Amino acid sequence: MTRKKKEALWFYLLVLPWLFGFVTLTLGAMIYSFALSLTNWDLFTTPGFVGFDNYVRLFTKDKIFWKAVYNTLFYASISVVAGMLFSLCIGYFLNRPVRGSSLYRTLYYIPATVPAVASALLFKWLLAPDVGLINRFLALFGIDGPAWLLDPAWVKPALILMSLWTVGASITLLMAGMKSIPTEFYEAAELDGASPPAQYYRITLPLLTPVIFFNLIIGMIGALQIFTQIYIMTGNGGASSMGGPNNASMMIVPYLFNNGFRFYKMGYASAIAWILFY
Amino acid sequence: MNRMGMIDRGVTYLFLTVLGLLLAAPFVYMISMALSSDATSAQLTFTFIPREFEFGNFVRVFTSRLNFGRFLWNSLILVFFAVIGQVFVSSLVAYAFARLRAPGKEVIFILLLSTLMIPAEVTLIPQFVLFSKLGWVNTLLPIIVPNFFGGAYNIFLLRQFITRIPVELDEAAQIDGLNYFGIYARIIVPLIFPALVAVAIFTFVWNWGAFFGPLIYINDVEKMPLALGVQILSATNSAGQIPPWNLVMVGALILTVPMILVYFFGQRFMDQFSLTGGSVGVK
Repeated sequence: MTRKKKEALWFYLLVLPWLFGFVTLTLGAMIYSFALSLTNWDLFTTPGFVGFDNYVRLFTKDKIFWKAVYNTLFYASISVVAGMLFSLCIGYFLNRPVRGSSLYRTLYYIPATVPAVASALLFKWLLAPDVGLINRFLALFGIDGPAWLLDPAWVKPALILMSLWTVGASITLLMAGMKSIPTEFYEAAELDGASPPAQYYRITLPLLTPVIFFNLIIGMIGALQIFTQIYIMTGNGGASSMGGPNNASMMIVPYLFNNGFRFYKMGYASAIAWILFY
Repeated sequence: MNRMGMIDRGVTYLFLTVLGLLLAAPFVYMISMALSSDATSAQLTFTFIPREFEFGNFVRVFTSRLNFGRFLWNSLILVFFAVIGQVFVSSLVAYAFARLRAPGKEVIFILLLSTLMIPAEVTLIPQFVLFSKLGWVNTLLPIIVPNFFGGAYNIFLLRQFITRIPVELDEAAQIDGLNYFGIYARIIVPLIFPALVAVAIFTFVWNWGAFFGPLIYINDVEKMPLALGVQILSATNSAGQIPPWNLVMVGALILTVPMILVYFFGQRFMDQFSLTGGSVGVK
């Protein structure tokens, strides 16, 4: 065997595990998923071919699906943008010559390490209408807090508020980006008489644009897949009432979960997944 | 940048401290709830500053019927095998992409990158059907096994690391009689060790708190990992029923502490990785 052939053989040998996973769990699964989306399979009986009925129903009749799409986009865009503005604001102060800056950063990062299940259980409590910490805090200022998770108008703001708790993750990335900005820029700006906020706005932010952009994309991908918080917080801790009051917090992945794993409408759930893909 | 006026300094420290207190408050409340007695928990009269110190709660969850020890063990098994699979396979595949020449390699690499854009939901239901046909429902296998096929993102990042190692090292080793696997094991692995640790940490973090996978695949309480077990403990069947919130928060704390430890000890590995990851992402 020539050396070239041997090298190619080794390549395919080493790549084989990934290739196998790709063919079965990704490519094969996608084809199978599309085929399923044209059926009314319920996991137990023989699947019946229904053509594009699932898609037609989703587009024309299923109001909850569109509500879930709207809710998810609403939640994801506002929580990600608010989180970014918040962390840019914090970044300004952390970037000043303060003592113990790494201590603050660690303190801010800890909430981001808390697993979603743990933080969802905790915030279910913090956001409780009467005894919750947040409303008791608001009461100190004479504000009568809303019922948060139980109120259709407040459930999404509550989830967005909760997402801000984990702002430390993006702060860490922003600070890493700030470190790579040459100090000469700031020295020159200071000679020209630029105030610290002006320096931040005119030097730091423009140079951070790629990092900010990267952060926004990663944040969006994560936020669009929100599931655990909805499952745990907006219901009684089971799938039966998931989605909150009047479906005000029904999101895409929870809706897919309900159809597929609670009602066993595998065909319909596959159709939902495919619409999302496009 | 070095001089700050009195007011300026005051505003900065005030902002940072108030923010720190606000972000720490939920955490303090979590600890306070975990240390509360059953009576307090049943009446929902938790206080922000801990008033009771029931450290016995932390023992009770292991000895009582709840059996957190079982959950913890399941979580450890899950994470251990996930990390082994992900680190070993992803680095081997990355090595092949970085170093070996073969016809069709470019096409396969593009396929690899394109899988990064496929949302997990599309493959979720077929995978569920497949794993149920294999009889893997109610086991940890559906969550563990995919790790042994490598992760596209990890493969991509490790490939970047390997391409930075001088090829001359490989060539010298080859002359000395090492085969390709020998080069991987003796030359590449030691040089990308920090990156492998980072992949291990990411895999740990990803699987330790995993909820969705266990939720759809595991029905027996005996076989649940910690995150799902804690959630089950908090679930109620009727509106009037009150879950043992103090013990739920003990579970939440047990779930959280390893994550904080990993952050503290793994920070330097992750920093280096997220930096390169960041610049890779924006190029």
